Amino acid sequence: MNTTRALLSGLTLAIAALSIAGTASQGDLVAAQKARIAEFAKHPKARSHVAFVSNGVADFWTIAKAGAMAAGRELGCDVTVEFPGGGLSDQKRMLEDLIIRGVDGVSVSPIDPTNQIEVLQLVAEKSLLITNDSDAPTAPRLCYIGMDNYIAGRMCGELARAGCKGGEVAIFIGRLEQDNAKRRRQGFIDGLLGRSSDPTRYDEPSKVISESGYTIVGTWTDSFDRAKAKANIEDVMTKHPKLALVTGLFEYNSTLAVEVFKQSGKAGKILIAGFDEGADVIAGIRDGIVLGTVVQDPYGYGYESVKMLNAFTKGDFSMVPANGMLPISARVIKKDNVDAFWADLKAKLKAGKEAASKA
Amino acid sequence: MKKSLGIICLFVAICLITAIYGDGFLTGFNLTNLTQRTALFSILALGAGVVIVAGGIDLSIGSVVCLAGIMTPWLLVEHGWSAWAVIPLVLAMSATIGLFHGVLITRLRLQPFLVTLCGLLLYRGIARWMTGDQSQGFQGEFEDVRSIALARFDVPFLGDYRLPATVIPLVILVVLIGLFFSRTVWGRWLLATGRNENAARYSGVPTAWLTTGAYVVCSLLAGFGGMLFIFDIGSAQPSDFGNFYELYAIAAAVLGGCSLRGGDANVLGIVVGAATLQVLRTAIILVGLGSQLEFAVIGGVLLIGIAADELVRRYSARRAEQTSRMQH
Repeated sequence: MNTTRALLSGLTLAIAALSIAGTASQGDLVAAQKARIAEFAKHPKARSHVAFVSNGVADFWTIAKAGAMAAGRELGCDVTVEFPGGGLSDQKRMLEDLIIRGVDGVSVSPIDPTNQIEVLQLVAEKSLLITNDSDAPTAPRLCYIGMDNYIAGRMCGELARAGCKGGEVAIFIGRLEQDNAKRRRQGFIDGLLGRSSDPTRYDEPSKVISESGYTIVGTWTDSFDRAKAKANIEDVMTKHPKLALVTGLFEYNSTLAVEVFKQSGKAGKILIAGFDEGADVIAGIRDGIVLGTVVQDPYGYGYESVKMLNAFTKGDFSMVPANGMLPISARVIKKDNVDAFWADLKAKLKAGKEAASKA
Repeated sequence: MKKSLGIICLFVAICLITAIYGDGFLTGFNLTNLTQRTALFSILALGAGVVIVAGGIDLSIGSVVCLAGIMTPWLLVEHGWSAWAVIPLVLAMSATIGLFHGVLITRLRLQPFLVTLCGLLLYRGIARWMTGDQSQGFQGEFEDVRSIALARFDVPFLGDYRLPATVIPLVILVVLIGLFFSRTVWGRWLLATGRNENAARYSGVPTAWLTTGAYVVCSLLAGFGGMLFIFDIGSAQPSDFGNFYELYAIAAAVLGGCSLRGGDANVLGIVVGAATLQVLRTAIILVGLGSQLEFAVIGGVLLIGIAADELVRRYSARRAEQTSRMQH
């Protein structure tokens, strides 16, 4: 018994030592990056080369690219934008290739921050690392640029709560592995059910939640297969014929909900609380079949990422807030502001495309 | 019919279990959706089946679905082409892809697995490059063209069940391919080519032409299926549209009784195989199993079904052998 206890104590100590060593190493990498920035203050780079890496391929990222390219053009720095289409391994390969190319700084949206720590450490060791859209709090990143997905999810939940006074609700989302998806879903649930704000809360996706007059019948993922995403919505409509509201927490999920409801004659009968700015969702808001949508500012993610990394190469660290998070807040788009939002987005995309073609 | 008995039994069993334990399986809405999905995947599976009968394999089906599917709204919406030009062009392009595969396999003697694997990468890459990785969709327009896949017909005495328009091309294809294998000499020759290509060639069968033709049919149906899929979904992203559809198509064909060794055709079985896969996917939601279990359930049920089918076949063959021995 004593031997077992001694072994367990030894193991606990070893784990603690390893964790401390790990923490120290993360801290060292952050300090090393700050030292490099201080060095840049003495010898600023005439023309920097920075990179922006997304977590997948989507229209959302095309808007972010437009922001990154516009900032590059404005600030006179070279910008490389990469969209990994093949998931985690593809993103790792792209980050390694960027390091080999000798980029001065990288802004990345990590797909699986917990299990990607080695490659993020590599970027921090050889270049300057910041994160965007989805954070990696345990990685040696200098700053996170983006919104708090829990808060954005809450905004979507509150939008749904205001427009739908109870009944059965279904959640559709591309995948749940990444940090932003988990937080967004939890924020939606807490906002809809009128719970207190607690980002650490976690409701199991397979669990049915009945609270405050709502029944959340489940969460369905599709791994980015749109035919499957469409089938999910149809099948859930079959299983739950009294569905009152659905939310699509990735851009195409909301778009497909609009499509399916139009095809099945349920448009306006089952409400939709959207996320992101799919063209059909915007049209649905105008037509009154979508309550509204929570939009992020991907253009801002791209623009601010390039601006911050470029500032680092001039020795300027002032853009980084004390808590290491540069907030770019989400907005709710409803019928009253949808036209102004759409016109602004189109103008930004056009400017970004022009910048990209000139680059 | 006898050849399809195994898969029909599996299909009926899954339907019964889902109807008993799931909610809403027998509603008109669900059966309409299932018919639509079965028709779309069956069209791909029929193409995969024709290549498998010829002793080949086509791994590029999903990427051809992607290229044809993405090109359709890209040309219609982005470039303002007429549907009368786009549809024949996309179909011709798909057939040309099949011809390209066939020529590489029969003339250059490259392995079908490698040729179509390269195709899998090539066509998706072209689709992504062509569109700049942007989603392509109809933006609420072209309702008339999309009705090729979206139209529904009322059926007397079947309540709110509505027959999807995609069933029409499926029935035509099943009849044509079925007649090709059962009533034409070309069909017999293709079966012979699949069973033993060398023997067929020495017997005077134009095996190279037939194999090339099989690849043309497969890619043509993949392209046609890709167009129907995009008409049905409305928009698609080139990086993921049609991913793994070749595996669903091949699985449906093999489940339906097309041996991967070649030479076995079962057109009706292919459609039942595709329907089985779609019912299984739906059953996961209707029965209320976690969607994380989807692949595990599909894999497990199919494995049990295939193993049971094989055991029954062996038992029947042994009994037939014993009977014939006793008669002699």
